[in-house]
Amino acid sequence: MREGERDAAPSFLSMGKRNLTRALPLAAAVLALMSAQRTFADSAARTNLIRAVLSEDNSEQIALVKKLIDADDVVVAQGLAAWRLGSLYLTEGETKIPFLLDVALDSDGKAKGLRLLDGEPLLDQAGKPLLFSANELTPVDTTSKLRQAIKIALDLYALANRNPKMRRDAAIKLGQEQNADYLAYLEPRLRTETNKEVRKALAEAIALTQIASTERATRMAAITRLKELRSVNSLSFLQKLEKESEANPAAYGGETVRAAHLAVKQIEDYLWWGNLFGTAFRGLSLAAVLLVVALGLAITFGLMGIINMAHGEIMMVGAYAAFVVQNLFAGWFGASGRGFDCYFIAALVVAFVVAGLLGLLLERGVIRFLYKRPLESLLATWGVSLVLQQIFRHTFGAANVQVNSPSWLSGSFVINDVLLAYNRLFVIGFAIFILVATWLLLTRTSLGLQIRAVMQNRVMASCVGVRTDRVNMMTFTFGSGLAGMAGACLSQLGNVGPSLGQNYIVDCFMIVVLGGVGNLPGTLSASLGVGVTDQILQPWLGAVMGKITVLAAVILFLQWRPAGLFVTRSRNLEG
Amino acid sequence: MKRHLHKLLTGVALTVFAFTALAAETVKVGVLHSLSGTMAISETSLKDVLLFTFDEVNKSGGVKVDGKKYMIEPVIVDPASNWPLFAEKAEELLVKDKVAVVFGCWTSVSRKSVLPVFERNNGMLFYPVQYEGEELSKNIFYTAEAVNQQAIPAVDYMLAEGKKKFYLLGSDYVYPRTTNKILKRYLRSKGIPDSDIEEIYTPFGHTDYQTIVAAIKKFTAGGKACVISTLNGDTNVPFFKEFANAGLTSETCPVVSFSISEDEFRGLPAKDLVGHLGCWTYFMSIKTPENKAFVSSFTKWLKDPKVSGTDYNVTGIDTKNRVTCSPMNLSRIGVHLWKQAVEKADSFDVDKVREALIGQKFKGPAGEVTMQENHHLINNAFIGETLASGQFKIIKTMNNVAGEPFSDKFLPATTASAN
Repeated sequence: MREGERDAAPSFLSMGKRNLTRALPLAAAVLALMSAQRTFADSAARTNLIRAVLSEDNSEQIALVKKLIDADDVVVAQGLAAWRLGSLYLTEGETKIPFLLDVALDSDGKAKGLRLLDGEPLLDQAGKPLLFSANELTPVDTTSKLRQAIKIALDLYALANRNPKMRRDAAIKLGQEQNADYLAYLEPRLRTETNKEVRKALAEAIALTQIASTERATRMAAITRLKELRSVNSLSFLQKLEKESEANPAAYGGETVRAAHLAVKQIEDYLWWGNLFGTAFRGLSLAAVLLVVALGLAITFGLMGIINMAHGEIMMVGAYAAFVVQNLFAGWFGASGRGFDCYFIAALVVAFVVAGLLGLLLERGVIRFLYKRPLESLLATWGVSLVLQQIFRHTFGAANVQVNSPSWLSGSFVINDVLLAYNRLFVIGFAIFILVATWLLLTRTSLGLQIRAVMQNRVMASCVGVRTDRVNMMTFTFGSGLAGMAGACLSQLGNVGPSLGQNYIVDCFMIVVLGGVGNLPGTLSASLGVGVTDQILQPWLGAVMGKITVLAAVILFLQWRPAGLFVTRSRNLEG
Repeated sequence: MKRHLHKLLTGVALTVFAFTALAAETVKVGVLHSLSGTMAISETSLKDVLLFTFDEVNKSGGVKVDGKKYMIEPVIVDPASNWPLFAEKAEELLVKDKVAVVFGCWTSVSRKSVLPVFERNNGMLFYPVQYEGEELSKNIFYTAEAVNQQAIPAVDYMLAEGKKKFYLLGSDYVYPRTTNKILKRYLRSKGIPDSDIEEIYTPFGHTDYQTIVAAIKKFTAGGKACVISTLNGDTNVPFFKEFANAGLTSETCPVVSFSISEDEFRGLPAKDLVGHLGCWTYFMSIKTPENKAFVSSFTKWLKDPKVSGTDYNVTGIDTKNRVTCSPMNLSRIGVHLWKQAVEKADSFDVDKVREALIGQKFKGPAGEVTMQENHHLINNAFIGETLASGQFKIIKTMNNVAGEPFSDKFLPATTASAN
């Protein structure tokens, strides 16, 4: 929705300017033919808009904006849209003139300022157009109440917008107002509308407005219509109607009560199914997050048997790598746009490499001396984790850093009222990708063969010529690299700070142990199990009790099966 | 030669010491804020602003008692976000350092943990962070916002905006739970049925807000809904990211947050929060001469941080993107109120200062405040809308709201006794 509006603002602007430059000479030529009153109305609307912009009084502003709804003037619409999105500016000095920036930028990234009153550029004393840079200007203030009023005014315009998404949102918003005056705008639109989704929204809006009607036949038809449309947005309105009509059947009539009851039930059933799929999706997405963070550990701890307490901090390194890459890209391409949006792909690669190198360093410097002493490796890696945290706290500050999502990972799309967020879909896809990649590496490459050989019997593998030392190094590096990518992924979902690792380390170990140490299918099943269970329990028990219940269940399960879901027998782990 | 030099140096040092001792007396003042651990992000800023205020007081002549000028000498301890350690450190300040007053604590649990220490040793604590009320100790002065100075005005504003459904979302600890309990009773008294109020808690450090945001989306489907959030610190990041991704905006469903001030904003994704609301007794964007002076002198102080009149060495000050916020303002106000009261009582004695504090007024950056008999302030409350710059645009001002810790006193009688 927000994307659509952003797209729309410049098109409004260019449309307005084109129209204006054409319209001005034209207007002069056909002045006699044009209705004088109309011209007057246009300039009155613009004056009203300018008065609203300059006013200090919020309620006066809103009243003025409401008056603009009927103004059939594209400049006013464009001004309102710019105001709402914070791209309307005021000149400095005694008399403040509201203006917009021209879409065309010069080589310095500056643009002409176009006056809201007539679309003419602002001139300096020498008569040359003044140039402004959007970064240096402060937009005219708005409040949410005012933006709401602007939005309603724009919604009515938006019903004719080229973007179907905007038309749909406008229709929904107008329907919720239940304002019978809007029917005059909505009904003709429905007749000419071709887009399926917008048609549904329009029909919904009309029916929703009509259930507030006092005429029984109109109301009945509207209720039936909403039922057929399975309109989730009108559920609460229908419920209200159901209650009111039950309380006062004489005024509404028994058939209204029954129809409302039926409609509510149908929509609730529909919602129930939507909820089911929604929960499944959310469970899957949580499972994917768990899998992504635990996979690296499944390799270093599961396959190699190293209790690596610094695993979380390696993820943190990956997340900070994403932060650094983001800043570099923002420096090269600016903080938005296609160039910037690519940063995340680069960040994943950089995170893998940096975290992998760190893992290599850790393995060569600390862990390789401790393969036979798992308890000491626990302490040593814990020490490393504290050192890493403190280093990052010193370099980047104790506060969290901001990692912005690229535009292709923001927002969501909706299928049958089930919300699928892009970043969640990405994590699911990414989880599948790294799982398959890891599986291929372990089963289809010689390194994988060697890893499995070393894991099953280190001495024998060494006897037949496998350089176990080198295999250990490679495996640990790969596991750390995966952890780094996980960290980069997490930067899209939550906080990036020095304590990022600590927040996930318990979950990581839980998943790996639950799945059965040294077993990839086990890790997959464990993350699916925990993720889906958590999301199913959450709506009933709340986030706190849900989490406690899952943890308790895991403990009980491990009491019953201490080796986890899938038991791997290997000498490495037993000996 | 060497011995002579040594003697000479000692002599000089002694003279200098004697001279400074004569020139100005010092009074020890305790600062009890976590400088490490999870709360360090928030509490370090309060330590900074306290040092700044001590410097401010000392520069203007210190605290005058019995015709003498006393320079404030800070004693800073680090309770490390560890609640039992707060009590230990408080004991240390009161018994070992014998400080005249302590400024400190952020979380309610830390305040609850030091309360018996202050009562036993008859110490004095100034507490500057918005809290849930239902507490009153003779040894604590609460410059903080009580529930009726923050939560209630915010809900009133939402009701006036025509909101009919309230989603109360909080972190799972004492402040959100108590506040929401009071809010629920208040909303009930305003005719909002229980079916239109949802109360949900998430653990500290919760990262997965999918289910909750999906529930909010459903909750708002009929319009006229809002979220009242007491989510703490960095759990706000995943929440607001998820919220924005679900297509919810401040126009369809505004979120009022009680725990996000300008200072917290430094670690939050600003674009996801634009248009949502905050309610505090101070905003950095307030346009008064007092606030202008406060902000500019604090910024100036950050460049050369010191406490004048003492040889206290200020270190480890973060100078990047610093802002001021309500808890910082209230910390500073606490110091000034205490100074005025000490001068009025003409003594550092806790009992005398306590008496003198009642009715003390101070013209702060957000208007004049008055200390009431119930140890809470009369203060102005503001509702602000978040801007992309991390500042708030003030959209409503409520003048002279008297802080009241006990909800029974400000809730309508019928609902208050029902619970």
